[in-house]
Amino acid sequence: MNSAVSYQPKKKPLLPRMKKYAGFYFMFIPVLAFLIIFHYLPMFGIYFSFTKYNIIKAPVWVGLKNFERLFAMPNFWQAFSNTIELSVIKLVLSTGMSVILSLLLNEMNNIYGKKLAQTIIYLPHFMSWVVTASVFQLILSPTTQGLVNSILMQLGIVDKGIYFLGNSATWEGAYYVINIWHDTGWGTIIFMATLTGIDPGIYEAASIDGAGRWKKMWYITMPSLANTIITVLILNLAKIMNLFESVFVLQNDAVMDVSQVLQTYVYYQTFNSGGIPDYGYTTAIGLFRSLVGMTLMLICNYASKKVRGRGIV
Amino acid sequence: MKKLVTLVLAVAMILSVMVMPASAEVQKPEKITIFIDGTVVTEPNGQKQFEEKWEELSGIELEIIQPDHDAYYDVLQQQIASGDWPDVMILSSTYYANYANEGVLWDMTEAWENSKTKNSGRMKNENVLDGLKINGRLYGFADAAGGGCVTYIKKAWLDAVNMEAPTTWEEYAAVCDAFVNNDPDKDGVKDTYATAAAGFIGGEAPFINYLPEYYQDAYPSFYQNEEGVWVDGFTQPSMKAAMERLNEGYTKGWIDPTTLTNGTKDCRNKLSDDTIGIFTYWAGTWATNLKNLLINNNHDAELIALPPLEGAPGFFDRVPPVWAISSTCENPEGVFTYFIDTMLDGGDMQFLWTYGVEDVHYSYKAETIMPGTDKAVTYEQGVFHFRENLETPGTTYTKNHIDPVSSNAFFAEGYYDPKADIVLPENIASSDLFAANSRAAWIVPSTDEMSMYNGDLTTLKNGLIAKVAMGEMTYDEAMAEFSKQGQGWSDLIVNSLNAK
Amino acid sequence: MEATKTNVQRPRKPLNIFPYINGVLFVIICLIILVPIWKVLVDSFDLTTGYGMKLWPDHFGLDGYKTVLTNPSLVTPLMNSVITTLSGTILGLLLSTLGAYVLIQFDMPGRGLFAGILMFTMIFSGGMIPSYIVMRNLGLTNTLWVVILLPAINVYNLVLMRNFFEGIPTSLFESATLDGCTPMQIFYKIVLPLSKAALASIGLMFAVSYWNDYTNYKLYITKANLYNFQMKLRSMMMGSNLPTAVGSASENTVQNAAVIIAILPFMILYPFLQKYFVKGINIGAVKE
Repeated sequence: MNSAVSYQPKKKPLLPRMKKYAGFYFMFIPVLAFLIIFHYLPMFGIYFSFTKYNIIKAPVWVGLKNFERLFAMPNFWQAFSNTIELSVIKLVLSTGMSVILSLLLNEMNNIYGKKLAQTIIYLPHFMSWVVTASVFQLILSPTTQGLVNSILMQLGIVDKGIYFLGNSATWEGAYYVINIWHDTGWGTIIFMATLTGIDPGIYEAASIDGAGRWKKMWYITMPSLANTIITVLILNLAKIMNLFESVFVLQNDAVMDVSQVLQTYVYYQTFNSGGIPDYGYTTAIGLFRSLVGMTLMLICNYASKKVRGRGIV
Repeated sequence: MKKLVTLVLAVAMILSVMVMPASAEVQKPEKITIFIDGTVVTEPNGQKQFEEKWEELSGIELEIIQPDHDAYYDVLQQQIASGDWPDVMILSSTYYANYANEGVLWDMTEAWENSKTKNSGRMKNENVLDGLKINGRLYGFADAAGGGCVTYIKKAWLDAVNMEAPTTWEEYAAVCDAFVNNDPDKDGVKDTYATAAAGFIGGEAPFINYLPEYYQDAYPSFYQNEEGVWVDGFTQPSMKAAMERLNEGYTKGWIDPTTLTNGTKDCRNKLSDDTIGIFTYWAGTWATNLKNLLINNNHDAELIALPPLEGAPGFFDRVPPVWAISSTCENPEGVFTYFIDTMLDGGDMQFLWTYGVEDVHYSYKAETIMPGTDKAVTYEQGVFHFRENLETPGTTYTKNHIDPVSSNAFFAEGYYDPKADIVLPENIASSDLFAANSRAAWIVPSTDEMSMYNGDLTTLKNGLIAKVAMGEMTYDEAMAEFSKQGQGWSDLIVNSLNAK
Repeated sequence: MEATKTNVQRPRKPLNIFPYINGVLFVIICLIILVPIWKVLVDSFDLTTGYGMKLWPDHFGLDGYKTVLTNPSLVTPLMNSVITTLSGTILGLLLSTLGAYVLIQFDMPGRGLFAGILMFTMIFSGGMIPSYIVMRNLGLTNTLWVVILLPAINVYNLVLMRNFFEGIPTSLFESATLDGCTPMQIFYKIVLPLSKAALASIGLMFAVSYWNDYTNYKLYITKANLYNFQMKLRSMMMGSNLPTAVGSASENTVQNAAVIIAILPFMILYPFLQKYFVKGINIGAVKE
């Protein structure tokens, strides 16, 4: 962890340096207290990953059996790769769209139009996934009641409605579109806040030098956003395996091959088992997801350090 | 030394035999803790008054723990894991079977056999409780039948196409055809389908309950045949006919084209906006709810409940949720006698569990319910009526916990049961039709093979059913696909069930 | 003011159509975003129940909203929501800014360890049942404390905050230190005033997550008088799908009204926050 600071001049002894930061250690105490109480105390639960634990009888140590069982699930690898595919593409698309939208909003000069647009684009975030799914199932339905298909049919592009959500070939595309609708606007918040930090003087100076709109966007705005974009991407990588609700509400029997992700897979396995969930197994799956998230995050943070000279924390 | 031990044992045995009659006199518990889901009145709906009334009738302190209905089993699991087991809890069939196997539940077989309720002569359907026995032992008590779905058909649509309610598959097919092609809603546009469901197959047991005309005797999951042998219904010939019927229905437009992505609410809305004319849904209270939906949309609201088609077995009756006593309960006999055995006492307690608290949930006073609205109804003194729902104004209560229609026991001779005066005829008609034509669903035990493979197997089966129904695959192609991977899992599970 | 700027540019670029294209683009984007919401909005005013899309309600009526808003059991949940959202947001911002401020002390011994301690909790968790047991042993279950304290430490937001703090010129810290300011003084005299946009945006994220929280309520609270508004709306929306449910004819209207009402608070609140999202606000503060 300290390799990154090796280029620094020889350090002073530890204690005087620590004394200099005494105030900061003090300030970290409340944060640490919250972390310990709400996160580290329950960590004893990770132990259950290596046990058979039906909640009623005391946990029995089984070593790596739960993980073996997870990897032995017939379609585990398909679910695993679906999870990575859906969440990475979704993450890149939503973040990319948020950045583009933020840049365009930033260029908007009409202050009322901007305020109105901002208020509207946040709205989808407040719709639960259940409601979102039911509305989009209607909009994308293959009958004339489906808005998209009726437009396509009127324009003569298709002559029979396409069942976007009922077909493996079109499901993924529909899934991304719905996700972009749901998440893009909310994603702009953090980028808009970053943009406020840019000194308007820099833009003025650039204008005087004859830089046009696109040049300014590319050479001033984008670099100032880069740090935030990378932070957001890497932070979200840690949660990549948690994909559940948005998929669960949109999937159906005919599209399982493309829509089955790890969390839904485990859900159906438990639901159809006729038994009550084995808590040891559930915890083991959680630990596996964390390990994947950590690996992805460390790799990207390392890449970020190599390329930009710093990580995200 | 040995002699001494024998002597002490003998004395102990004699003593215990002597004490036995005394202990048969069940001790009254001082306090009972119950863990309940949202099917008992909630806090905003006057739970406190319910609790007080119960305490008054029993003389026992009642502590109610009621988590959010959606998170009920999560919270129950937490509670069980942390060691605070409630005295009594409501359990679904899955949790009931598993908790019973794990020793969480107190064996109430003898208590039930000797109970007042069982021997009261007021029991309606004792086979509901027999169906709850696990290896001959009873661990839970059901106050009502599990309930299930019947098929409703719009009378106005039948009249519009000049047809009678169908009794055979051929007649059913003809009605469907007419509902699609002969403009049954008389709006001049061909915009109707015969029926809709949320998916070609249900997500939970008994799976086939939403499209019974198409499945008929087919059952795609595991069940015990007449010889008591477990089989996988998906591999039976009846499934071929069922999938071909689904395919015929879907390709001819009888089954709504968005069936795959429908939610149950979407189907209800399609019924109420006159997109579909046949709908299989819960018998009982929902018969009234569906009727009200149609009235509200200014459509003819008469729905006929259809008996199963000729050759098709009855509708599935779900395994009902049960009341169970935990094995850590200090005085299970007392809790059984004073809590469970009083629930259907035929008198005040049963009335409380069925209709709620006087002047909170129902009343005999002269009053106007929902005054100032178009739903206002005025009652005279002495007439039983439900009052306005505290949590959802604009509606009235229809029961407390026990459904008056599907309750497992009648009220005692001479005790006034307002059921006949308040429960609407369509509710009773659909319930009676259901009761006369239902068969009990199975409690399927869990095995290691089941928990390992049934998730994948079910996903595979459901996908194949959907693809055959939608015409993306023929039955033979689907079965070829099934024998490639599913057959192996299916055999493993069947063998594990039969070995149990 | 903005307009004069474009006027300055005009002589050089006589045909600047970008603002118009941009404007039209946003009209289209907003329309696309509004279509699905419109469906819910129309249904919330429609007393009949249909499946398809409608431009206007068939039978207009306010009964859906009336049912939700005149509900006598709505007052307590609404109060609970306000209390937890306000206190939780303040506490969340406090912890995030403190943690972020410590994290930008790049030469501080142990900084890497702190960062590690933080990140570990973002990735790993003990799970549902251990968390419940800890909360129960601390006596936090069935109190509002659990729903306020538990989400207040949010590493994701803390790292985003750190990202903003990093943008503050280090020269400011140095000169303040030379002037004899303690770290705490620098924190509230320089760091916080310079981070209004960050505080507003991350504060908004906290507020929304507190307002919309139901998971913690479901798992840790079994008393209905401690539920929040969101829990209440959800039970109104979900409750009617039970086989034994007592559905009223206007059930669909009420559910859609509940969805719209859930959105409203932030539609009202957001314009007040927008002044913190104006270009150059942070830098302006430095110059003053």
